[in-house]
Amino acid sequence: MTKVLRAHHCHHLLQRGCGLIASPSSLSSSSSFCIRRRSPPSFTSTSGHSSSIRQAAAGTGNHAHDGSSGSTTNSDSTGHVKSSSNISPHEVDKFSSFASSWWNARSNPLVGMNPIRVKFITDTVEVFQMNAPPASLRLSNATTSSLFHLPLQNKRILDIACGGGLLTESLSRLGASLVVGIDASSRVVEVAEMHSFHENSRLVLQQQQQQQSIYSDGTSRNIRYIGGSTVEELAAQWLSKRGKDKITPTVSSSTNHQSADDDDREHELFDIITALEVIEHVPNPTSLLQAATSLLKPNGILFVSTINRTIKSYGLAIIAAEYILGKVPVGTHDWNQFRCPEEVERMVCDIGGSSGGSGGNGDCPRMKQIALSGMVIDPPFVNLNWSLDALDVDVNWIGAYQKQSSTS
Amino acid sequence: MARAMSVASIRLEVASRTSPHHHVHNISSNVAASSLLFGMSNRQQQSMTTNNVCRCYLSTAATATAATTTHHRSFSSPSIKQHQHYDIIIAGGGAVGSVLARLLLDDNFGSTGYIKNTGTTRRRRPLRLALVEARISPPTLKDLIAKNNSQTTQSSSSSSSPPDPRAYALSPTSLSYLGSNILQSLGQHNRVGKYDNMQIWEHDGPAQLHFVGEDLCKAIQDGRLVDLNALVGRSLDESCNGNGNSKTAKQRPWLGAVIEDAPLVSSLWDELRRDTRIDLVDNVQLTSIDTPSPQEVGNVIPPPPVQLSFTRRRSNKKNGKEGSDNVIQEDEETTCTITSNLLVAADGANSFVRRTVGNFPMTTHSYGRKAVTCTVQLEYGMKQTAYQRFLPHGPIALLPVRNGNVDEHGGEGGECSPKYANVVWSTTPTEANYLMSLSPSEFLSTLNHHLRQGPNINPSILPNNNNMIPFNIPLISTLAHEVDSLLRTANSAITMGTWTESPSRNYFRLPPKSIKVVSPIMGFDLGMSHVSEYTSPRVALVGDAAHTMHPMAGQGLNLGFDDVSSLAKLIKEAIDAGMDVGGTSLFLDRYNQERLMKGWGIVGGVHGLHELFECSSSSGSDLHGIMKDVSSGDGTSVRGLRNLIGYSRSLGMNVVNGLPMLRQTLAEVAAGATPPFVK
Repeated sequence: MTKVLRAHHCHHLLQRGCGLIASPSSLSSSSSFCIRRRSPPSFTSTSGHSSSIRQAAAGTGNHAHDGSSGSTTNSDSTGHVKSSSNISPHEVDKFSSFASSWWNARSNPLVGMNPIRVKFITDTVEVFQMNAPPASLRLSNATTSSLFHLPLQNKRILDIACGGGLLTESLSRLGASLVVGIDASSRVVEVAEMHSFHENSRLVLQQQQQQQSIYSDGTSRNIRYIGGSTVEELAAQWLSKRGKDKITPTVSSSTNHQSADDDDREHELFDIITALEVIEHVPNPTSLLQAATSLLKPNGILFVSTINRTIKSYGLAIIAAEYILGKVPVGTHDWNQFRCPEEVERMVCDIGGSSGGSGGNGDCPRMKQIALSGMVIDPPFVNLNWSLDALDVDVNWIGAYQKQSSTS
Repeated sequence: MARAMSVASIRLEVASRTSPHHHVHNISSNVAASSLLFGMSNRQQQSMTTNNVCRCYLSTAATATAATTTHHRSFSSPSIKQHQHYDIIIAGGGAVGSVLARLLLDDNFGSTGYIKNTGTTRRRRPLRLALVEARISPPTLKDLIAKNNSQTTQSSSSSSSPPDPRAYALSPTSLSYLGSNILQSLGQHNRVGKYDNMQIWEHDGPAQLHFVGEDLCKAIQDGRLVDLNALVGRSLDESCNGNGNSKTAKQRPWLGAVIEDAPLVSSLWDELRRDTRIDLVDNVQLTSIDTPSPQEVGNVIPPPPVQLSFTRRRSNKKNGKEGSDNVIQEDEETTCTITSNLLVAADGANSFVRRTVGNFPMTTHSYGRKAVTCTVQLEYGMKQTAYQRFLPHGPIALLPVRNGNVDEHGGEGGECSPKYANVVWSTTPTEANYLMSLSPSEFLSTLNHHLRQGPNINPSILPNNNNMIPFNIPLISTLAHEVDSLLRTANSAITMGTWTESPSRNYFRLPPKSIKVVSPIMGFDLGMSHVSEYTSPRVALVGDAAHTMHPMAGQGLNLGFDDVSSLAKLIKEAIDAGMDVGGTSLFLDRYNQERLMKGWGIVGGVHGLHELFECSSSSGSDLHGIMKDVSSGDGTSVRGLRNLIGYSRSLGMNVVNGLPMLRQTLAEVAAGATPPFVK
């Protein structure tokens, strides 16, 4: 109990401290440490050399896989989407080269991270979206009922930067009615499609043989992948076509057999959007978060995970993981792109359009942080055994931000 | 029952195992246009079209009728279909395999929510399990007890047949994996041999070591160890809060319990039979196992499921009711193939799965020792104490069985009901064979002679014969005597110290006298074995399939249960994460790492303990081989060294006994509690 209280207390300190250090407008160029104290901005030491690559990359808008970079849209609902090509080609090429080993747990640490990410998502959804099964279902024996209720039952989910589909497949197995996976690299999306296609065909075969569906886990029948596209583009299309016709993503190949397209328009938005380990890889994280927020239903939850910008994260995520232990390829991460939880909270807080509260520590009218946890390797580097630790957000962390219903 | 499976003749489908799965590795192909069968191996497609329904009848509760009637098998029992897919297939329905199934089906076991107040249980997709067992399914617990009672041909005083010497000493943590239902039903039928005292002492030294239930109080109060009394519906009384030495303590913490194999497995199967999520397939003979190659794991294309083929013999003849070894009439033999995301090998020390899948190198070591085991009837009850005495050639243990019905005063209720104990006597093969050749009365007198002796309070480390002192030089001789007397004084002082610290705890209890041998005297060879890998793609080893060890610490099945608990947690974690437990190497790699560390710790620790006690076996009837060979060269110095090691060990035992912290830690480790420094 005391631990929890302390965590809350710390958290408040964190929020205020961060607000003093960096304002969102200066985030893209700042390379200061995220400090946990209410400290003057003297800590904003410069180390600009490493951020130059990123900035150069950000300047060039042409992207090899990007088929529709010309569609610059100013969405009327958010008004903040400036460019639809929020892609760093260098980053995309980097991840494309990992594609073939994406599902290899021994070379891709994201596989080991996946269970705790899913745990954080399902637990948060359970608490904040009141996803309880109907009372009738709860009374009946869920093990024999064919209507057993899964943690993400009937959720529509968008997985931004789905990569090889690790999280996408997991979410689809946990009951989601639709999971859309989108990634700037079309090559990794091909991997994702390939993987979930095989999972799916096996499952269909098994179901045909068993002639029963009560034990099916719904693998990948409800997945749709979009490769070589950005969430900004998706948002532009999604929102412009609301009220007109169905969605036709740029590069869409669906492996679904259900007709997910006949949902009404309200359901075209998403209950859950995940943007995990991506904002450190795009030139303009705010744009990404804005686009994601615009696709979220009221009370929908946006999950963001990244790496904190601390001395510890430099030591562990860059020096140790890339250079000493070789757990991730050298050059995977740029420390200056890391974000501390307070910065991201401020970013999503300001998205709502009501920028009045940006100066103080007031409420965020549109998006509110509802959960935050660190993700730690325990024990360090012996095996990649990740666990959630609410008190240690120094390196990897994941946060949940809920879109407030329009009344508030 | 695992052993029975391995005896079965093996018919390997070598061709199907060695031929790699034919996959099309074409990532950039137009996936949507491909056929649905794309990626399925040719073998799978063929078998799918040919033999679609396999009449492999399941074992149901209906098959286990009362033992007095013939063993009918219901032909209307449900059957599993050819190529039925399961999440997990467990090979071997013994104690370890059944407990794994139980834990997997227990919704309260496994990963908890990150946010604590999300509810009692996590919502998860129901697992689909299969348990394949070589033997015919065990009777229900009720039938087993009824059979025991009806078979009583012994003296009229006994209400049921004597306990089976095939029994396990289970730690509190292991017992908790059985769940309260099973523990309570076993308790109701008096099939639990609880002990909350343990006395360990030596043959020729002053050392004695007492563990009591109160040593575990701290772990229970810290939540590091499950409170078994709460699990069986009793409250932990003031023995943990107030004076731990209170003799009126009713429910002291358990140090463990001895449970016979047959009722344990029966009660586990009872629970499994009630669950629709698991298919129990008994009386099967595994023929082939097809697992993905290591190269297929971690690819873009997920590894294909493991495929298990078996034949199932069915007979409507009586099954060994008359014990007349009649060959089971093979009325029909069906072959069946089922697939699964993970195959768990729980089929015993001679695991068919381990040998068939291959790639499981083992470290083995034979101790050149044999264990003799039997059940004896006692003159009076054991007062919930387990005894172990270290003799020159190995330990002899007297363990309480069926000491339930404990009355309010700590005694064992029902004066007329007989008191039983399990004897496990490890010794040299020669002596073991000698013991087994003895008549029951001779065996009993030998047993009582060796067991009913207190520790030697003040032995000398020096040989009796002064001529045997190495380098028989006056000065060294004098020095040796000085050291000897010093050590003796120290040891006596520590012994005295522990007595004064807690006299009621540390007084030597004389084990009860054995008055009758009530079971056959059985012997088995002792060895140690441990695999160097616990996993292979989509295969995990648990229990004796992965490790065997010297029985002196009673850790064999406890380590097996620990394997099972660790694996069950990882499987639940995979399900909760929406992942395929064998689809990536993630979960099995973690299982492998966890088990290698723990397994080598326990197996190696027990091995070291054995070596330590071996070393100290003193002069006299020197039967064991190694020492004899060595001592034939330079007998005197070796013997002196051996005595010294024995002496320091004896001193160590006394020190452990005298230091409550150390003693508690040891007791907690043995009980399976989480160490305090682990989060």
